[in-house]
Amino acid sequence: MVEFSIFILLPLLTSLFCYAVKNLRAQYIVSLGVGTLHLVLAFSVFLGYYHTNLPLFFSVDSLSKYFLLILSNVYFWVVLVSFSYLKRPVSSRAEEGKKYYFLLLNFYLTANSAAMLSDHFGMYWVAAEATTLSVAPLIYYYRNEEALEAMWKYLFLVSVGIAFAFIGILFLTLSAKGSVLEGRQVFFWEFIRNAKALNPIWLKASFIFIFVGLSTKIGIAPMHSGDIDATSNAPSPIAALMSGSLRLTALMGVLRIFQIIRPTSSYEFAKIILIIGGLLSLFVAFVFMFKVNNYKRMLAYSSVEHLGLITLGIGVGGLAFVGAMYHAVYNSITKVILFLTAGNIHSRYKTREVSKVTSVLNFLPKTGWLFLLAFLAISGIPPFGLFFSEIKIFEGILFSDKPVVLFVAMFFLLFIFINMGKIIFSMLFKKGENDTAEAGVEKFEFIHLAVILLMILLTAIAVLSPEILYQNIINITKDFGMKI
Amino acid sequence: MENVLSIFFCLSLFYVVITSRVKGYVTVLRVQGVLLSVIIVIPFISHFSIFGVILPVTLLVVKVFLIPRYINKVVLDLDIKRMIEPTIQQFTFLLLVIISMVVIFVASNILSQNTTLNVIPFASGFSAIVIGIYIIMFRKKLIVHVAGFLILENGIFLFGTAVASELPMMIELGTLLDVFVVVFLMGIVLNNISSTLKGFDVTALGRLKD
Repeated sequence: MVEFSIFILLPLLTSLFCYAVKNLRAQYIVSLGVGTLHLVLAFSVFLGYYHTNLPLFFSVDSLSKYFLLILSNVYFWVVLVSFSYLKRPVSSRAEEGKKYYFLLLNFYLTANSAAMLSDHFGMYWVAAEATTLSVAPLIYYYRNEEALEAMWKYLFLVSVGIAFAFIGILFLTLSAKGSVLEGRQVFFWEFIRNAKALNPIWLKASFIFIFVGLSTKIGIAPMHSGDIDATSNAPSPIAALMSGSLRLTALMGVLRIFQIIRPTSSYEFAKIILIIGGLLSLFVAFVFMFKVNNYKRMLAYSSVEHLGLITLGIGVGGLAFVGAMYHAVYNSITKVILFLTAGNIHSRYKTREVSKVTSVLNFLPKTGWLFLLAFLAISGIPPFGLFFSEIKIFEGILFSDKPVVLFVAMFFLLFIFINMGKIIFSMLFKKGENDTAEAGVEKFEFIHLAVILLMILLTAIAVLSPEILYQNIINITKDFGMKI
Repeated sequence: MENVLSIFFCLSLFYVVITSRVKGYVTVLRVQGVLLSVIIVIPFISHFSIFGVILPVTLLVVKVFLIPRYINKVVLDLDIKRMIEPTIQQFTFLLLVIISMVVIFVASNILSQNTTLNVIPFASGFSAIVIGIYIIMFRKKLIVHVAGFLILENGIFLFGTAVASELPMMIELGTLLDVFVVVFLMGIVLNNISSTLKGFDVTALGRLKD
């Protein structure tokens, strides 16, 4: 019960604390303490030092402890930098948004942890919907027109999407009619164990509804629009949180139904759907990178691209699946770095328009270099982790029964890299008309330190390739019944 | 009994299609809330249990009183015009709905030959899901979109009873709470949209695009 308290109850109580205590510093200290405790416990569970004993509807397996650690890591860094972010001057209307910031952040942690640890589709649904409720008001932090529109679209589209996922869950119960699972609760493990007895038609329908519904939250094309608007208009730490962890929470639901469908005759069907979803996401990112003129939208499309790549890897299976699992952790850390540095740029230039951001290396040298390194990392340049995970995904696709997919994917990725590079280099190096002002000496802020540490973490995981991480990913692959 | 109530549920869907007033939508939400509460209380009439009462009562409170009252309050507070402003003609919309419902009922009947399911509640629930989506697509006012979303949710609930999937009480209550908070948040956002964007319909939302 200790772990249940720390993962779920404690953040909930901290939410209440943040409601009662208005002092922002006190809220920050308590939230950071809870975030640290959460990370330590998630890490202990991941390493196997702590054996969990969770109540009904919750349990831990290789996948959930891996995703929980990713969530916990992203959350910790986001909370760590939040206070210095909140100290930045904002409009008087936006000051109001600060009051609920830590309250919602803690509620987000509760809901997300519950979703990651749930082993029942109903509980997962309730928790996943709660994550939407916690993050939607945070999108409206700046209290401007764009943020308001983004919040509405996100709340509405994701709520409808999640409702679709619920229909998928009902179809799953329908697929159990006439089998040993009839009338039983929708526990993942029970359905995985008896998957072969499920009715294939309803199972396929269930997969489609759950995948399409949760795509609104993962950001898989063509259901990505609400997510793009939300990520690009939310304050940077929240955008980092959404790109680094919330999308994975939704992906978890898709992975669970995929795990159920794997031993059945509908497996090929599900694989094709995931491959189409992945390729479509790469295509959308490819098209929009040509015309995007907002650098935070560009990063949001980059998330669509990478989640598309992960989905593609899962769909292809085998080594590509292993690559996709590695990609999940590398992408989450890199996205935090990218959004935090983009937040620094936004604070200085007060705009998200690419054309109005020039000479970043001149005015913000520290942020500029870190932003450049983060771009290299997200583009899969060695020694950053995404290089290794992408190689695994590519190798997996090449030696699968659909090697042509690799050429299509690489074509899209090449142009995404070129266009993203053009935008970022223009921001960093291009001189603007009004850039005659002297280059400022950028103060070394707490956010810089966090970004540097994250960069070290990203490289260290890739270069050292810890055995425990490899073993856990292999265990996930085995749980999915895949051969490498 | 469940079949009769489901047919009433379907009739409420037809009413929502032909009405051109926001108030009509709120009335339909109340009626559907009552019907759903009665449908889930039926199995507990023969064997009474306190747990069997908690869910219908909560459903009744949330779907018949709290949410419709809240929507009415939003409509009054924001002084939203009472007409729904469709984007397609009512007759075309009605035709589309009738065709969709016929397809759903026939398809459900065919599917029921392989799987045991209660055809009328199943098809009624699915029709509500489809009509909820149509309302979101073919109506301009954002408050009507919220009503469309709630009709979709009601459809899912009825659909759930038709496939006889009983989720544990705690999770059922959790889903209800989630829906209530979603609507509550949507109301707050609408309030802000009316003051910030000076409009209540989808045309007020056009800032974010590539």
